[in-house]
Amino acid sequence: MRTVVCVRQVRVLGDEVEFTDDGTDVDPDYFDLALNEWDAYAMEAGLRLRDAHGGEVVVVTCGEQESEAALRRCLAMGAGRGVRVEGVGGHDPVGVARALAEVVRDESPDLVLCGVQSSDSVNAATGTALAELLGLPCVAVVVDVEMGQGSARVHRELEGGLIDVVEVELPAVLTIQTGINEPRYANLRAIKQAEQVEIPVRTAPAAPSASRVRRMFAPDRGDGAEMLGTDPADVARRIAEIVKERVA
Amino acid sequence: MARDPKHDILFEPIQIGPKTMKNRFYQIPHCNGFGSEKPLSQAYFRSTKAEGGYAAVSTEYCSISPESDDTHRMSARLWDDEDIKNLSLMCDMLHEYDCLAAAELWYGGSHAPCMETRCVPRAPSQIPSDFEYLTYAIEADKDDIRHLQQLYVEAAKRARTAGFDIVYVYGSHSYLPQQFLTPFYNKRTDEYGGSFENRARFWRETIEQVKEAVGDDCAIAVRMSTDMFMGDAGTQLKRDCLPFVELVDHLVDVWDINLSGIAEWGEDATPSRFYEQGRALPWQAAVKAISKKPVLGVGRWTDPDAMSDAINEGKLDIIATCRPSTSDPFLPKKIEEGRLDDIRECIGCNVCISRWEIGGPPLICTQNATAGEEYRRGWHPEEYAVAKNADNDVLVVGAGPAGMECALVLGKRGMRRVHLVEAEEDMGGTMRWIPQLPGLGEWARLVNYRKIQLDKLSNVEFIPSTTLSAKDVAEYGAEIVVVATGSYWATDGLNGASHDVIPGADASLAWQATPDQLMGEGKKLEGDRILVFDNDGYFMGVSISEMLALEGKKVTLMTPMGHIAPYMHFTLEAPNMHRRLHSLGVEIVTYHLPSRFDEGAVVATHVYDEHGHEQTWEADGVVLVSQRCSNERLFRALKDDIGLEALEAEGVQALYRIGDCEAPRLLADAVFSGHRLAREIDSPDPSLPLPFRRERRVVDPEFVANERAWREAVVAGTA
Repeated sequence: MRTVVCVRQVRVLGDEVEFTDDGTDVDPDYFDLALNEWDAYAMEAGLRLRDAHGGEVVVVTCGEQESEAALRRCLAMGAGRGVRVEGVGGHDPVGVARALAEVVRDESPDLVLCGVQSSDSVNAATGTALAELLGLPCVAVVVDVEMGQGSARVHRELEGGLIDVVEVELPAVLTIQTGINEPRYANLRAIKQAEQVEIPVRTAPAAPSASRVRRMFAPDRGDGAEMLGTDPADVARRIAEIVKERVA
Repeated sequence: MARDPKHDILFEPIQIGPKTMKNRFYQIPHCNGFGSEKPLSQAYFRSTKAEGGYAAVSTEYCSISPESDDTHRMSARLWDDEDIKNLSLMCDMLHEYDCLAAAELWYGGSHAPCMETRCVPRAPSQIPSDFEYLTYAIEADKDDIRHLQQLYVEAAKRARTAGFDIVYVYGSHSYLPQQFLTPFYNKRTDEYGGSFENRARFWRETIEQVKEAVGDDCAIAVRMSTDMFMGDAGTQLKRDCLPFVELVDHLVDVWDINLSGIAEWGEDATPSRFYEQGRALPWQAAVKAISKKPVLGVGRWTDPDAMSDAINEGKLDIIATCRPSTSDPFLPKKIEEGRLDDIRECIGCNVCISRWEIGGPPLICTQNATAGEEYRRGWHPEEYAVAKNADNDVLVVGAGPAGMECALVLGKRGMRRVHLVEAEEDMGGTMRWIPQLPGLGEWARLVNYRKIQLDKLSNVEFIPSTTLSAKDVAEYGAEIVVVATGSYWATDGLNGASHDVIPGADASLAWQATPDQLMGEGKKLEGDRILVFDNDGYFMGVSISEMLALEGKKVTLMTPMGHIAPYMHFTLEAPNMHRRLHSLGVEIVTYHLPSRFDEGAVVATHVYDEHGHEQTWEADGVVLVSQRCSNERLFRALKDDIGLEALEAEGVQALYRIGDCEAPRLLADAVFSGHRLAREIDSPDPSLPLPFRRERRVVDPEFVANERAWREAVVAGTA
């Protein structure tokens, strides 16, 4: 069984943020880089399936040289191989999905795992777009995976604590929710070994970006915010009232 | 990051007499164990706070005469020109940071045992000290009073010569001026006793004379306790203190307002167990309401919002800190820079104070391992040099106080990678549950501060819920391994009184438990009657007793010691701890050692009963707080089973252990242990502490010749 896990090196902001002079990005002095939290769970899910059913886990990321740290972390956790795709990244989930799709096609895996979303862009779109591009079924916000013969029984999280259990034909794309497992740590020896691995680099297909960043800014703090409470039914009722008031 | 505008008030300058404080942060007089005789330690300790942004920093109590000698405790002294020289170093170094220097002129009266000088102190009345054994004073006559006031004047002049900007006439904590003011100490019937005017006369005249002598050059500070909590006999706010403020306000440049006498000065230096921040504010505000002069006051201030509120609401002018300035000498700077989560907040454990109470050793701090080490070990609380072996990876096993501190300092020293691996799901070790004991919630700051700081270090990774075997450690891939696996409470009654186990003690039984089991593992003892056996002598036995009593159990606290929790005498927690246990109906049995634990009964004998008569206490359950044991299983397996050579073959070049894993100790010492190893990780042998600078007189031939000649002259009567 071959699983491709798609991961992303995200930016983690500190307490304070400054933007670049052209106002289109965060000043690099104000963030650290790390493996996206959701992707660590996806990686662990892939490793557990491999441990149970054999095969290999291939990890893919899109991004420039600094993104290699995310791949090396996954290699240290136990991924068999890594692939990095240059020339795409940032905030364009469809562009990223397009680049990932080329790698996934070449790998012809049984399963593709992504994180539900990235903690910096928070589009929650890459996995779904990837499935669409590949023509594969997609199950989003997955909290459990049971492998069958040529299919998987997948639990996906709905709002209000509900779980939807679906059967999905393989290959398929699953986007993995945090908490599905406890990602394993990589010890220092594995980290050191992963540092020595050659990682093949591919170039993303030339394509117009589906999104662009015009400006980044901290919104002005308004006043008069109204907290609507915590009970979902009450909140919904109150929102409906507000909408009706405003429309009227 | 810029400071929050709501804290701007803390950074407004303020005039005190002839001097200007650049902001509102003031380090109140407090002891550190350095006095005048460890001048470099003194100067670096105080000036670190000036570097951290304090606008004024004081000495500890500073004796004005050999008649006021607190040995065995360590005060500063301004007796002669050599004391001036030694303390001038502190003044000079404070001034380098545009920080004012204050000297707290002190005469102990009936509380000065004079064990070094063998002088006899003078006091308003001849009643022995309620703080110090066998200490009587001369009942001062009028000549003595003139003599005492002259001592203050001469010492004030010496303070000015040394470079002090602020000179105290210190009365709080039941020292001489306040002894005159207080009927408890002053039984006189002449013009220095009786009416308020008479009781205030000595202090008023002394302030006048000191003001006359140095008031043009130095600000005159008066430190007054506004309630001794002793009923009518003690100083009273309305009867004594507010009238005194009105009487001498025109002479005083700044009021330093606090609470308590000396015998229970934990009412001033309040442990977090009993009091929150700002405890004295109502009393300070009362003085502020009638004084035209700035008022400063302590309150174990760590929260800049509360500090700003105290000033904005007109309750205080200046924020005085003692313990928070030791826990974080850079408190003002961090507030100014808006780095509030970098503040190393005082936890209010009073272990700093315990060292003064013990008498002599340098202060220590649970939160700040560099406190007191600024000079002698050269440690800076905020600066960490890159280690010479920073290209190494380090594995720290165990994220208790020692392990967290070690990983933090190793991270700051730029080690390539530090992995902090913990068996439990979160950091803290025993400190995950100790703050859940009654009253100890603020102690969680020890863990919280370190968690926040560790999270900021990109070269430190915390790995929870992971138990490493010795083989896992050997193969982990670290060049340096630090074992910090802590300690556990003995399960068999092993104790330092009998140096043996106690027959019948076995915490695996349902009716017995250790603190680890009760707090860490959730074990419950059935039945109503619980006997807590304590031979630890600090907070654990009494805290467990309090907790069980609060749960409705009938608790007996038994100890072979003469007092329950004797170390809490040093942390000033003892009086209120006694009150609390008494009010909860806890039966206290001292001087008794259990000879055996039977189900349903504890049999014990009085430790001084030569015939060993046994007495029985019925008990449904027993808590064993007998002693702690190092949890050294992993360390021994690495060193003895695998062996250093085999470890080296795996790439492990060094194996250390720190904290309770080495030997159980105070939290402050566990943190210090982790800090020390990390500070010295690149020394020739980090397992051994580097020698520290000792401030002592080293004799040379010329000095010895002079001293021998002097001694011979004294013997011959020709000196």
